[in-house]
Amino acid sequence: MSVRHLFPLFRRELASYFLGPMAFLVLLAFQGIAWFNFWDLLERLDRNRATVSGLRDPLNFYLSGSVPFWIALMIALPALTMRLISEENRSGTIETLLTVPITEGEVVISKWLAGVVMYIVMLMPFIIYLPFLYVQGKFHFDIGPFISLSIGMLSLGLMFVAIGLFFSSLTRNQIVAAIWTFLTFFLFIFLTEAAYGYALAKQERWAELMQFLSVLNQVHAFAIGQLDLRILSVHFSICALMLFLTIKVVEWRRA
Amino acid sequence: MIEVADLSKQYGTIQAVKKLTFHVDRGEIVGFLGPNGAGKTTTMRMLTTYLTPTSGRASISGHDVLDEALEVRKKVGYLPENVPLYPEMRVREYLSYRAQLKDVPRSKRRSAIDYVLERCGLADFDRRILGQLSKGYRQRVGLAESLIHDPDLLILDEPTAGLDPIQVREVRALIRELGGKHTILLSTHIMTEVEAVCGRVILIAAGRIAIDDRIERIQTENAIVLQARGPENAMKKALESAPKVRRVTTLNDSGGVATFEIQTEDGVDLREELAHRLVHNGWALRQLDLRRSSLEERFVRAVADASVRVDQPESGAA
Repeated sequence: MSVRHLFPLFRRELASYFLGPMAFLVLLAFQGIAWFNFWDLLERLDRNRATVSGLRDPLNFYLSGSVPFWIALMIALPALTMRLISEENRSGTIETLLTVPITEGEVVISKWLAGVVMYIVMLMPFIIYLPFLYVQGKFHFDIGPFISLSIGMLSLGLMFVAIGLFFSSLTRNQIVAAIWTFLTFFLFIFLTEAAYGYALAKQERWAELMQFLSVLNQVHAFAIGQLDLRILSVHFSICALMLFLTIKVVEWRRA
Repeated sequence: MIEVADLSKQYGTIQAVKKLTFHVDRGEIVGFLGPNGAGKTTTMRMLTTYLTPTSGRASISGHDVLDEALEVRKKVGYLPENVPLYPEMRVREYLSYRAQLKDVPRSKRRSAIDYVLERCGLADFDRRILGQLSKGYRQRVGLAESLIHDPDLLILDEPTAGLDPIQVREVRALIRELGGKHTILLSTHIMTEVEAVCGRVILIAAGRIAIDDRIERIQTENAIVLQARGPENAMKKALESAPKVRRVTTLNDSGGVATFEIQTEDGVDLREELAHRLVHNGWALRQLDLRRSSLEERFVRAVADASVRVDQPESGAA
C-alpha cells in the first residue's frame, strides 16, 4: 500500500463524481432539505422560547431528528456508492486497473476515501447555515454537541460508505448495488429503531441491544453531546470488516 | 522473456486453457492465433496477472505471475480486448493518470506522454474526451497507454479489431517498429495480420497449442496436388514409394479418377519424379500442381484436427 498510488486513484474517482450529474443532484437535494429544516428551526426559535423543544436541542431538531434528512440519506448515499466498483466491473476498466503495479487494497481504499469525501461534501449544506444562526441570529448554541455530532456523523459515514462499496464490488449492475445498500441502511436506520420500540413495549431484554445498535439513537446521543466511544468502535469495526471483504471480493474475481 | 509451462485455466466445468507450454524470447513478435473461444484472451489475462491460473506456471522476465504479480505488471504493457476506457476523461489526462499508476517518475511523465501521443498519431487529439473518440482512436489511446511506461513486453489483445484498412496498416507498421525495442505478443484471428507482422505464430485451438512455428517455415511447407486416372490403391502405393515423400492423402476418388495431396520432406519439389512414376505405370495424368500451403489452410486444418481430438476422449483422462 502506498500513498503514491492512492492519490491519483482518489482524484480520478472524485473527479468522475463531478463530471456526471449525480453529485450535483444529491447536493441540490440536500441543500433543499437543509434550507427547509433551517427555516423550520428558525420559526420555532422565534416562537415562545420556553415551550419549544427545538430550543433545548437544536441540532437534533435541525439534522438528526429530521425524517426527510434520513430518507434522503438512505437514497443519496447508495446513489453515490453504487458505481464505485460495479461500473469498473461493467465497463471492463477493472482489467486495466488490476494489471498495473497497484494492489487491490489501494484500489478499494482510494475508492472508499472518495466516497467518504463525497459524503462529507453532501453534508456541507447543513453546516453552512449554522454560522448565520450563531453570528447573525445571536443564537449561541453549544459548540460541544456540534463537534460530537460531527464526529459521530463522520464515523457513521465511514461505515455507510464501506457498506455501499462492498455491495458495489459484488455486481456489475449499479442498480443492484444500490438496492442492497439501501436495504442495509434501512435495516440500520429504521428496522433497529422499530425493533427497539417493539422490544421496549414487550419489556424484552434485548431492547437495550437494539437501542445501542439503532443508528437514530446513536446519532441522537451524539447530537446532545454524548460522544460514546463504544458506538464509534462499532462503526469502525463494521467499516474495517466491509473494506476487508471488499478487497477479498476484488481478489476473488480474478480466480 | 515469457516462460509458460502446463498453464491451465478452468472456469467451473469448462476448461478454457489446457496445459499450454511455450516460451518467447526477447525481441520476438509472436502472433497468438486461434478461432473465437480458443483461449487466447484467457491466456493473455493470465500472463498479465489479471486472472490467476488454475494450474501450471507462467513467468515474465523471470518473475512468476502468481508470486510476483506486481513485478510482472511493471514489465508488461497490456492492451485489453475492446479497450476499456473511462469515458469522462480526456486523452492526456488519462495517459497522465495511467503514468502515475505505472510509476513513471514525475520528471519523465510529460515527455513520456508526448512521446506516446506522437508515436500513436494522437498528437492533435490530446484534449479530446475519451467517450467521444471513434473506435480507431480508442484503440490508439489503448496502445499509447500500454507503451507509456516503456515496458519490456507488450501484450496486445486484438490490436486491430474494428479499425479501417488504413488504420490497420498504420497500427501494423507501428507494431513492427515497436518490435525492435519490445517483445510483443499479439492475438488476432486475422491470418494476414500474422503474416504481415509476426516472426512466429502460436496457434491455439480448443485451449491447446496446435502449431508453434516460425512464419517462414509455415509458408514454405509445400504440397503437391495430383490427379490421375487409375486404381486409387495402386497409384497411392506408387507415389508413397518415391523417395522424400512424407505423406500421401487421398482427397477424392470417383469414377476411376483419384486426387492426391502429397507432402514432401523439407518441401522438395517432386513433381517430375511423381509424374514419371504414374505415366510409367500407364496411368493418365490429369492434373499436377504445386501448392504453397497458406497460413490460412494450416489454420483451418489445425483447428479441424483439434476439434476432432476434443471429440475423442483422451486416454487416461477422466
